[in-house]
Amino acid sequence: MSELASTWADRFEQWVSSHDAAEQARRRRQFQRFAATGFPGPADEAWHYTDLAAQADAGYQLAGADVAGAEEASTPIAALPGCALLVYRNGVLDRAASSAAAFDGPALAASAAAGSDDDGTQDDGGIDALNAAYASGGLVYTVAAGQRAAQQLQVVLQSQAGDTPLMSHQRHRIVLGAQAEATVLLQFVGHGGPRLTTHVIEVTLAAGARLHLHRLSSETTGATLLTRLDARLDRDAQLHLSGVAVGGGLGRHRADVRLDGSGAELHATSLQVPASGAHVDDLVRVVHAAPHGTSRIVARGIVDAHAKAIFNGRVVVRPGAQKTDSEQRLANLLLSRKAEVNAKPDLEIHADDVKCAHGATVGQLDAVALAYLRSRGIPQAEARALLLRAFATETLERLGWPALQALIAERLGLPADELDLAFGDAE
Amino acid sequence: MLDITNLHARVEEKEILKGLNLSIRPGEVHAIMGPNGAGKSTLSNVIAGREGYQVTDGSILFNGRDLLALDPEVRACEGIFLGFQYPVEIPGVSNMTLLKAAVNARRKLKGESEIAPNDFLAWVREQAKKVKIDPKMLSRGVNEGFSGGEKKRNEILQMLVLQPTLMILDETDSGLDIDALKIVSDGINALRSPERSTVLVTHYQRLLDYVQPDFVHVLARGRIVRSGGPELAKELEEKGYGWLEAA
Repeated sequence: MSELASTWADRFEQWVSSHDAAEQARRRRQFQRFAATGFPGPADEAWHYTDLAAQADAGYQLAGADVAGAEEASTPIAALPGCALLVYRNGVLDRAASSAAAFDGPALAASAAAGSDDDGTQDDGGIDALNAAYASGGLVYTVAAGQRAAQQLQVVLQSQAGDTPLMSHQRHRIVLGAQAEATVLLQFVGHGGPRLTTHVIEVTLAAGARLHLHRLSSETTGATLLTRLDARLDRDAQLHLSGVAVGGGLGRHRADVRLDGSGAELHATSLQVPASGAHVDDLVRVVHAAPHGTSRIVARGIVDAHAKAIFNGRVVVRPGAQKTDSEQRLANLLLSRKAEVNAKPDLEIHADDVKCAHGATVGQLDAVALAYLRSRGIPQAEARALLLRAFATETLERLGWPALQALIAERLGLPADELDLAFGDAE
Repeated sequence: MLDITNLHARVEEKEILKGLNLSIRPGEVHAIMGPNGAGKSTLSNVIAGREGYQVTDGSILFNGRDLLALDPEVRACEGIFLGFQYPVEIPGVSNMTLLKAAVNARRKLKGESEIAPNDFLAWVREQAKKVKIDPKMLSRGVNEGFSGGEKKRNEILQMLVLQPTLMILDETDSGLDIDALKIVSDGINALRSPERSTVLVTHYQRLLDYVQPDFVHVLARGRIVRSGGPELAKELEEKGYGWLEAA
């Protein structure tokens, strides 16, 4: 890292000097942290399967407002039914493409100026520091105590680059007051040349709050998308987390969830279906820091030709977190000899009265089921698609949002579900 | 309709069928009986085109066409239906989805448009009643959590919906109680017609009390060793299969 630091440092100095003194000092501090560690490499355990060392030499320029400009502003982005829509392009809010409702509601405010006041006690191989050094604004979403957000919030985060490699870094914050409820979809899309995008999402849930937070990444070749979620849950709060990765590029998604209050719950669902050549790496780490906490991690992957999928679940039960109830279920379909899957559920338990289950499987499509479907006249390709859909369905159903489920199924190219037909009125 | 000549087939390295001949004309019901391991299931599976069965000699013509050259899904669309001895469970693929995909595959082959969902649903429900399957079970995964009897009735339901011209029922009667046996038999009888043929592969004579065969064949050691009318089944019931081993 030492010699590349100079290139990065020159660019950073150029850019940071336009800020006021206090801001410069804060960002410099973060940059120095990044410079000290550099991009994570294979030696870093949390990045064992995703080597970012080459990113240092990619020659990224910081994307500015001009790049996020007119050309793409006309690209329509479809909002899911009933959603308030926010659109960011290369880290810059696109008000024209967003829906007015996203700025109107009393509980809903999007800001382009979330500062990076956090000194980043968490450290994710220098990426947090890089993000904090450069962070532009992002979503700031606050739902007051006892309120339920009137609409689901769909946030589209688009990356784009031409011949010049570009990077953008955003920080988002979601804060729910006691007993508040909200649903947020973070949708990552992009196209074009090499681009590095980092997002840090801070989530704070007060007692009894419930947040459904979905991530759908359908990036394309050229993208390096790094997200990190840092969530803290107070007493009886519930975080329903989903992460769906389809499409191409490199994606690495880390979620750190701390169950600080007793009775807090994490329900995490992951579906990885990387395209050929793509690399997706998920890490979900939950810390049970209080008694009676629940964590459920259900992760599935469908991995075909030349794709790589990594899923690490890590459950840490701190001393005193008695009556913890935790379960990790990881399952993967490996459809090609050229594909690679690494799935590991990890446990670290420092309390004695807990229930922690975990399991991981990697297998092939059920040949007997495939033969059965073909024996009924269903062509092989369609039979395979039906079985793949069946495998993905269990995770999709956990999302509890039919419009999102349909969108994902469509992205996956899976056949439509026939079950919309009403069976309830059977005589 | 079906002409099997000198059929030799093996599973892995073991030769199971050793020169089997069988001819079935439209409208006929043939029962194929025999001791365990005689090759009854192998015959069914070879006709349906399941993977893992290797035909080493002989031919099967279906309405004059070389059946062995066709993929299993094409054979099914051409009118062959195999009722399995052990139907598989497929969680996540609903019975209705399977039926609709199967029917639409046939329609596509004939150049017809997809079936109208509501008409189809009503039609399937009607068939389900015939085999005493609760229409609610149609939205469940294929055979998911079904009892042994329900699985067999579900096979018959699929047959009623798909309307094959050649029905091959591989030990469909095994493991059924009298009530279920009657439901299954009614389903088979409902489809009997001058254009449709049936092959009943069974170990027991019991099914043949409900579905009257025109011909009964005894399969032993990889070939048909005796053929006759319904009375042959009675004889087997009385004498068992032991005399075949002796012969």
